[in-house]
Formats: sequence, structure tokens, C-alpha cells
Amino acid sequence: MDGLAQFVIAIGHLATPESLFHVAWATLLGIIVGALPGLTATMGVALLTTLTYSLDRDAAILSLICMYVGAIYGGSRSAILLNIPGTPASAATTLDGYPLARQGKAAYAMGLATAGSALGTLVGILLLVLIAPPLAEIALDFGSFEFFWLAVFGIVISGQLAGGLSPLKGYIAGILGLLVAMVGSDGIHAHVRFTLGVDALNGGIGLIPAMVGAFGFAEVLTVMWRGKAALVSGLLGSDRTIPRLLDLWRYKFTIARSGIIGTLVGIIPGVGEDIGAWGSYAIAKKFSKERDQFGKGSMEGLTAAETGNSAVVPGALIPALTLAVPGSAPAAVLIAALFIHGIRPGPMIMLEAPDFVYLVAAMLFFATIAITIYGLTLTRLFVLVLKVPREWLMPVIFVLCVIGPYALTQRIFEIWVMFAFGLIGFVLRQMNYPMAPLVLGIILGDLLDKSLRRGLTLSNGELDPFFTRPISAVFAAIVILSIVAGMPPVRRLAGRMFGSGMRREVER
Amino acid sequence: MRLDSPAADRVTALVLFLLGGAATYGGFVMDRLENRQIHPASIPGLVPMILGVMLMVCAAALAWSAARPREGNGAAETVSWSRFGVTLFWCALYALAAVGQLPFAPATAIFIAGFTLWFIWTESDRAARPGLATVLAVLAFSGATAFGVAALFRYGFLVRLP
Repeated sequence: MDGLAQFVIAIGHLATPESLFHVAWATLLGIIVGALPGLTATMGVALLTTLTYSLDRDAAILSLICMYVGAIYGGSRSAILLNIPGTPASAATTLDGYPLARQGKAAYAMGLATAGSALGTLVGILLLVLIAPPLAEIALDFGSFEFFWLAVFGIVISGQLAGGLSPLKGYIAGILGLLVAMVGSDGIHAHVRFTLGVDALNGGIGLIPAMVGAFGFAEVLTVMWRGKAALVSGLLGSDRTIPRLLDLWRYKFTIARSGIIGTLVGIIPGVGEDIGAWGSYAIAKKFSKERDQFGKGSMEGLTAAETGNSAVVPGALIPALTLAVPGSAPAAVLIAALFIHGIRPGPMIMLEAPDFVYLVAAMLFFATIAITIYGLTLTRLFVLVLKVPREWLMPVIFVLCVIGPYALTQRIFEIWVMFAFGLIGFVLRQMNYPMAPLVLGIILGDLLDKSLRRGLTLSNGELDPFFTRPISAVFAAIVILSIVAGMPPVRRLAGRMFGSGMRREVER
Repeated sequence: MRLDSPAADRVTALVLFLLGGAATYGGFVMDRLENRQIHPASIPGLVPMILGVMLMVCAAALAWSAARPREGNGAAETVSWSRFGVTLFWCALYALAAVGQLPFAPATAIFIAGFTLWFIWTESDRAARPGLATVLAVLAFSGATAFGVAALFRYGFLVRLP
């Protein structure tokens, strides 16, 4: 109850004209970024980080969170109208959103997606307020051994789930991210590693240039590489936008369940919004009375997918704030932004800045109100946004990809890093390597490196404490079980026993 | 060769194996800082060595899985390597050559105008080539965007532009 009271106080703190102005522009920008196919929430948050250096702490973080919430929600626009998810988070939305649009119910589908997103985020906010403070308290007991396993757990689980049918590629992406983090001065003895004589690498590879490259430049290349999409047009005028309360009440259990699933998926490091949506959709289909309608224009399916992906956003911020381990790729950029603005996420956050967790929850709340207002009133504007030709938009995006990382340190070298990561990101993505474990690896590399070496120093080289301390033992067991479960023979056996995987269940 | 094909996976496995080997070797020969009398378990090369070995194991597993028959990859996407090549060329020209050599705003205006006009021109029908009005619109858009972005970073964020 104390947490909820703090949350209400934080809402009052943010209810100023200046904050509301930041909510208004950043959420609208986020929805536009999310709605445009090829522009992802991660790219939006990364680029906006470079545009908010000069803002004060609260305004900057508020803008970034509004961008994050807006972009995840905005992806549903193109999913419904183009049959192309604006962001990967909206992939499940296409299954029922596009059929609804073809039935002439595009406006109502977008209204329903808006309600689902808003309610999903609200469920997530509630869980954030309730879970984050006790989790931070538990994390205060973590030592080097536990933090080592936490980092390994993040990489393995992220690789396993983000890799989909090929966890091996997820693991490889995670290891590559960890190796990237090994470049530059090490965190214990400040010994310079793997710089190949390039002085500019002494400080390591910056997260922001790497992320802007892997998510921004790689997206520019991908969008120009692919063919144009066909917009479902002329289907908006015939239907209402505001969802009927009866429809929402009918799906109350689906909304609550999808909200909880999304939040829990968000808490798992580096898994992300798309898995939250697919998981919610699959479970909703399993328990639905109208499961035969799923994939043909089911309102329940659409609601489940949108509630699930939006609930991941607050969920992903729970480990990001309390453990400094991001629950999703955009949350990884947010961690970098928090450091830039003087907030140190991690177990100490409840001691150093106890109000901040509630402030973030209040920021999410304002972003939710904004997406609801925009989503129900600006439907036609978003259709116009989808008509912006890519050959006009992409060079502008690339200009921001160039100047954003440069602005951070004012070194041309950061542009080269961005460019290199863009090419690597493009190739890896086309080869079906997930990006989330790579990003998580870059973020967690330093933690893993320092924790392992500090732990071994404390135990005088003995490995026992890594397996015998209670929390370490639990993490170790989960990691080992996950790796074993990801092995092809075990997966085949499990597939025969329990049927095919989640996505196949959805598509069936 | 498709990038999501078994053949591509085999090539990647080889590259990753070599990368893992290089990381392992690099970690092994890395200075152990004995002169600073650090604990032997905290040598800087420890984690790179472990990661290198793990990458080699994963690369071997990737090569093994690429050798096994797999389910179809579904319908091929409509993609254009020529569009990709031109995009890469323009972006490389701007980011790696123009920025830092030319003043930022003019370099940006030239990049946006060139990029946009190239794709408008090459993707239009011969009978419906863009007219003077389109060209002028692109030039105005690229100029306004370039000088707008430059002004935002220079005066708004106090960045010394390249």
C-alpha cells in the first residue's frame, strides 16, 4: 500500500505543464516511429537518447519512456493496416488485426488495440510498483557469485527465447555481445584488451553508437532492401473507433491474464515485447471459446496480443531498475540513458533514489493516458504517416543515426562504430540471429567479467561458492536446465511429448 | 547464396570458430599482470578465453546443425540487392567520407537530396519521370532538414558539428 501511495505522489509530482508537454510530443513521436515499418522502439529510444542530453533528468527519462510506450503501441497501426508489424512486438497483432481491417473494421480494430495496450500497460505498472521494491531488497543480498549467474542467466534465457526455433543462434548472438564488451579497459585492473592498437577503443565500444547502428542503420538498409507494402485503404470510415465496454468486459480475463503474462515475460532479461505478445496470444487461444476465429479476425486475439506486448514495457523496467539487467532491448538503451543522467540502476536504487522507481511508474502512467487519447482520436493521422515514402524518410533517419552517436562524445570514431554495427546487425538479422541477446551481452559483459573474477578472487580460485550458495544454486540449475532443454534432441523429444512450439500452436 | 541458408550457416560457423579461436588465443597470451601481484584467478584474459571456447563450441554445433536437413524457410521475400547496394553506397559516402571533410549541413543536404532523388528517379516509370516540381520539393526538403538538424544540434544541444 505504501508503494501505491508513493506512486500517487509521483503522479502529482509529474503533473506539471512542462512534463505534460514532454509526454505529448514524445508519445506522439513514439507512435509515429512505431507505426512506420522498419523503425523499432529500440531505434526510437536510442535516437531520442541522443536528443535528450541537454534536458534535465526527469524530463529526459520521461521523454524516453513515452517514446518506448508509444512505439510499442504504434506498431499495431501498420500491423492492422499493412499486415506488417511496425515493430517486432506487433507481429502477433497482424494475425487478427489485418483480417479485421479487410472486413472493414480497421478503425474499430485500432480502437481495440488502443484499449488493450492501455490496459496491459496499467497491469504492468501495478506489478512494477508492487514487485520492484522487494526485488531490489532481495538483490541487496547478491554478491559477485550471484551477479555472475544473473548475467549468465540473462544471456542464456534471452538466447533461448529470442532465438525461437534456433536457440543456438541466440546463444551465439549473446556470446558475440559479451565479446564486444571485452574490448577496452577491463573493469578490475583497467588493463586494455583487444583494442588492436586503436586508442579510440581504450574506453570500450559505446552502447549508444552500437545500438543506433544495429537498430537504426540496419533498419534503414533492411527497409530499402525489401519491397514496398500495400496499405489497406478506404476501410476506416465505416466503423467506430472507441471500443464498446461490452467487448472489453467480455475479454476481462484475457486482458488480465495477458497483462500478467506480458509483465512476467518483461521481467525475464532480454526477452522482449514480441515474446510477450506471442505468449499472451497462444494462451488466449488455448482458453478462448472462439478459438476457431483466431487468425481470421478475432477481437479477443487482437486484444491479447496488444495487451501482452504493452505489459512487457513496465515488466522490462523491473529488472532494468532493480538489477541493471534489461528486460528488453529498448530497456537496455534506457539503462544507458539512466547512467548518462546520473541515475545508477541496480540493487542500490532503493537506497540511493527510492522515489525513482515510483517516478518511472508515474511516467508510464502518463504515457498510457497519452496513447489512449492519441489512439482514439488521431486514427486518420496515423494512416497518413504510413503513406510517407521510405525514400524521403530513410535518409533523414540515417542523418540522425550519424549525428546522434557523434553528439555523445563529439568523435568521428563513434560514427564508424555505428556504421560497422549497422552492417553487422543487418547481416546477423538476415541470418536469423536475434538482436536482443547481442545487446544484452554488450550490457552484461562487464558485470559478468567483474563478477566472475571477483568471485574467484574471494574464493581463492575455488568454484564451490558458485554452486553452493542458495541463490547461485537456483540460478545455476535454471541455466543448466535451459541449455539442456534447448538442445535439439531434447527439443524434439519435448515436441513429440507436448506438441509443437508456441508459435506453431498459434499458427495451427 | 541466401543469408538464411545452411550454406551460409556453414560459412558463418567457420568464421565464428576462427573468431572464438582468436579470442581464446588473445586471452591466453594477454598480460597476466604478475608484476602487479594480482590474484591469478583475476587475470584480464580469463573471461575472453572462456568466451572464445564457448564460441568455438557453438560454431561447431552450428556447423553440425547446418549439415542436417531442415524444414523449408517458407516463401522467399521480395528483396532487391541493387537497392541495398545503392543505399549502402550513399550511406557510406556520407558517413565515412563526407562527414568530417565537408561542413555538416551542406554534406547532409547533398546526401538527402541525392538519396531521395536517386530512388524517386530509378523507381518511377519511364513515362512518368519526376518533374521539376518534384525535384524542387526534394531540394527544399533536404535543405530544410539538413539545416534544421544542424541548427538543433549546434544551438540546441551545443554540439561542435563535424
